Amino acid sequence: MYKTRLLLAASAVVLAAACAANEPVPPPAPTGPTAEELERLRQDSIARAEAAAEAAARAEQERMEREAARLAEARRQTLLEVVYFDYDESSIRSDTREKLRAKAEILRSNPDVELRMEGHADERGTSEYNIALGNERAEAVIQVLSGFGLDADRFSSVSYGEERPAAQGSTESAWARNRRVEFILTAGGDELR
Amino acid sequence: MRAQAHAIAHRVLAAATTLSMTVRSRLGLPLTGAVLALIGALSPATGAAARQTDQVIPGVELGLVYETTYVPPIAVMPFRAVQGRARQAEVVHGIVAGDLRFSDRFQVVDSLPSLSGEGVDYGLWDGLGADWVLTGVLERAAGGGSVLEIELHDIVFASLRERARFSLPPASDPDYRLAVHRASDAVVTWVTDEPGIAASRIVFAMRPWGDPAGSSKEMYVVDSDGENLQRLTWDESIVVSPTWSPTGDRIAYTSYRSGFPRIYERDAASGTDRLLETGQEGQQITPAYHPDGRTITFAVLNGRRSDLHSYDVGRRCCLSERLSEGYYKNLQPTYSQDGDRIAFTSNRLGTPTPQVYVMPADGGDADLISPYRYGERSYFTDPDWSPLSSKVAFAGRVDTGRTRVGGIMRYQILVADLDAGANRLVQLTREGNNEDPSWAPNGRHIVFTGERRTGHGVFVVDTGTGRTRTLVAGVRAEDVDWSPLLPQNR
Repeated sequence: MYKTRLLLAASAVVLAAACAANEPVPPPAPTGPTAEELERLRQDSIARAEAAAEAAARAEQERMEREAARLAEARRQTLLEVVYFDYDESSIRSDTREKLRAKAEILRSNPDVELRMEGHADERGTSEYNIALGNERAEAVIQVLSGFGLDADRFSSVSYGEERPAAQGSTESAWARNRRVEFILTAGGDELR
Repeated sequence: MRAQAHAIAHRVLAAATTLSMTVRSRLGLPLTGAVLALIGALSPATGAAARQTDQVIPGVELGLVYETTYVPPIAVMPFRAVQGRARQAEVVHGIVAGDLRFSDRFQVVDSLPSLSGEGVDYGLWDGLGADWVLTGVLERAAGGGSVLEIELHDIVFASLRERARFSLPPASDPDYRLAVHRASDAVVTWVTDEPGIAASRIVFAMRPWGDPAGSSKEMYVVDSDGENLQRLTWDESIVVSPTWSPTGDRIAYTSYRSGFPRIYERDAASGTDRLLETGQEGQQITPAYHPDGRTITFAVLNGRRSDLHSYDVGRRCCLSERLSEGYYKNLQPTYSQDGDRIAFTSNRLGTPTPQVYVMPADGGDADLISPYRYGERSYFTDPDWSPLSSKVAFAGRVDTGRTRVGGIMRYQILVADLDAGANRLVQLTREGNNEDPSWAPNGRHIVFTGERRTGHGVFVVDTGTGRTRTLVAGVRAEDVDWSPLLPQNR
């Protein structure tokens, strides 16, 4: 009985062998990575993902910083933007009022900021009267900002009259650029919010 | 022929002493050759008036038609040198002849026959048409200096009128020319009984040479004859409105050297400066001395307005109450000759542009003296009160549309005579732009800054004859101020 079984088995093997000879040889079964290797791969992948996330975060951070700097610079420019006046006038023009409103918002968000207003006049008229006129322009600006609810103690003023022109020459356009109030940061201008 | 014409005029003078009729009234009169010659000399100016009517401010008399007072010819003979002062004698002669020309009181006879002998031949000079002859002798004196002796001879009355001796420092002394100028002033006073102007200086503010577009403005001073230009400050800051004390020993001025405009007083002799510790916080500008020399009145910028305050410089204290009121700009005070009144600039009418007012020195109601008509945009500033009379000079413009030349409104010099009834106004200048008038110590000449086709400069006009000369050419000076006659011991 045992022998018959053995025979059967042997014939089966032969049969199988015969069959195998006719069929294509299957590829060798893949030899899988070791657990050690797998772990390393896993770690590498985590590190890469983490680095990518970190880079993305850094980029985002930098982007935000750039954006913040850009905004701060934009606020700074808004805050320091020169305002202009009509000939012989110290009254605030309507376009100037909007500029001052924008400045007031920045000043409200940045309570440490202090400004010096420098008043100027064009060359026409007498140098002394132009000092008084430049002063009146600087004070008119302070008055409007105070009117927006800001503490007037944050502002100082000086008038240069016609002595420090922004534009040289005796032309209408030069005069228009010289009738102005400039804004100088005297405190708290580092990071404007 | 010319000498003859002078001789005729001189005879008229001898008969009538003063001959003062306007050219206009003379046109209707029978005229002598001499007077016709005078009109001939003036006619180009009247022609110019017709062409430039747009330069005339409405309601103001044009000061072009001057009283043609007789201007006597004077011969200034070459000064004699004793003990080897020949070169100096020549220089001194040149200074004196220039001064007499600039006095506008004489026609200085240029080409002299060589008559520099011991005596003066009255008959000969009478024939040549001179009314006066000046002779001079320069002698060496102890200490390197010299003595100038001058004699004024009256040719009309054939006699020696005056003789005087003036000690001069060594020629290298900075006040050497000033000492010579005093001799010239003596001659003017002998003839006219009025003060001269030669021994004086003019201070002003200007951007430094070679840096016209720079941001600094320094203080400069120049002699009355345009010589001896000197820079007085080296702050690289801004100097505004320097003004002489009534004795000429100090100059008060505004400087930005601390970062803000404050008033300083400079000792003219030593050059040292002192900040006026007025106890006021605000910006301080436009100082003016009271004729007593002790009080300085100035403008304090305070909020949108500016007000006049006074300070005792002698006691270094006692800031007085506000002299002017209102929510306006009040500045540029100038005292009357007696110190009782102040002329100043203000926009108290509520207009954006300034006008010139007069008020009592301790405050009170102010009277408008500059030309103003409702609705007109006139602008008048820079008042300067004559040291001898109730005349106030100031500068400005009226924008009537006609005063615009090439879009630029012109500034001219005006004089208000406060004693002449209804505030008589005379316009002194018409050409170009003219600002910053300041009276000479004789209350007759005015120095001002001007802009001509030929450029900027400092000019002097004689309000008696209308004659104008260039004091400093080619400079953009501002805020000129003419000193009093300067003290000898400087």
